[in-house]
Amino acid sequence: MIDEKEFIKQLLNPQTQNTAFQKLLSDYQRPLYSHIRNIVLNHDDADDVLQNTFIKVFQYLKNFKGESKLFSWMYRIATNEALTFLSQKAKLSGISSEDLQNKTIDNLKADLYFDGDEIQIKFQKAIVTLPEKQQLVFKMKYFEELKYEEIAEILGTSVGALKASYHHAVKKIELYVTSN
Amino acid sequence: MKAFKLENEPKIKSGFNTPENYFDDFSEKVLQQLHQKEVKVIPFYKRKKTLSLAAAAVIGFALMIPIVNNYKATSNDLDEATLETYLSYQSNISQYDLIQKLDDSDIEKLNNNITLEDETLEDILSTSPNIEHLIAEQN
Repeated sequence: MIDEKEFIKQLLNPQTQNTAFQKLLSDYQRPLYSHIRNIVLNHDDADDVLQNTFIKVFQYLKNFKGESKLFSWMYRIATNEALTFLSQKAKLSGISSEDLQNKTIDNLKADLYFDGDEIQIKFQKAIVTLPEKQQLVFKMKYFEELKYEEIAEILGTSVGALKASYHHAVKKIELYVTSN
Repeated sequence: MKAFKLENEPKIKSGFNTPENYFDDFSEKVLQQLHQKEVKVIPFYKRKKTLSLAAAAVIGFALMIPIVNNYKATSNDLDEATLETYLSYQSNISQYDLIQKLDDSDIEKLNNNITLEDETLEDILSTSPNIEHLIAEQN
């Protein structure tokens, strides 16, 4: 594994840029796809957002100061892109973000790239009832299985706050699934 | 109904999957987009257009060369009529001066011009009032 600073240098050097960016893509496309897909839910939207994410990563790379890890910086860009995408889509449709997510979940049954059953759909509906931040924390911890330390770095919060947030999220989801 | 406890349940997967080969093609797609954004590619047809415009301009100039040359030539060479008009109306040169400038060949030319048909000569002689005078003198 090469040093991250060295890798960033390669990404900025026009001669090594192409190879380095290809490596970046192959290392991160799958985890970032899952992260984005968990937020926007639908495959086509996730595809769009993932492309924009990598393009932004490439554009802003020269401004990357190395204060955080490349991994968490990229996750932050992906999260912002996905959330912005959702709110813009909701605005265009003239509905709230929660209504939009509910509608998307209803459409998941017909989605070619979703192989979940009724329980999974109910589970998704339970998650949508959570506040945005709790949704994010829950998805990153439960589906993506990221460590609290990693989530803390991505979202810029303390591990303690995240644990509390996750705990609340689990309680609300359990309550929703039991009563629905 | 039994309370749902997440930790007692088997892991629930998100159920999201992707089209086949999605990730294989994805890198290529992004790299292509980046390349397009970086290098402002001028489409070939646009280049061709500039090229043909340049060629048309060159041909245009080339076609103008003989016209310009002709224009210069005609403007330097005054035609005879203009010259005559100028000499007779605009200049101070008198008929006498002109005669002085004539050389032998010019006089010969003039002689040639005066060769008249017999009939014409007869006409002139018969209509001229002084003709009898001349005949009398000759005799």
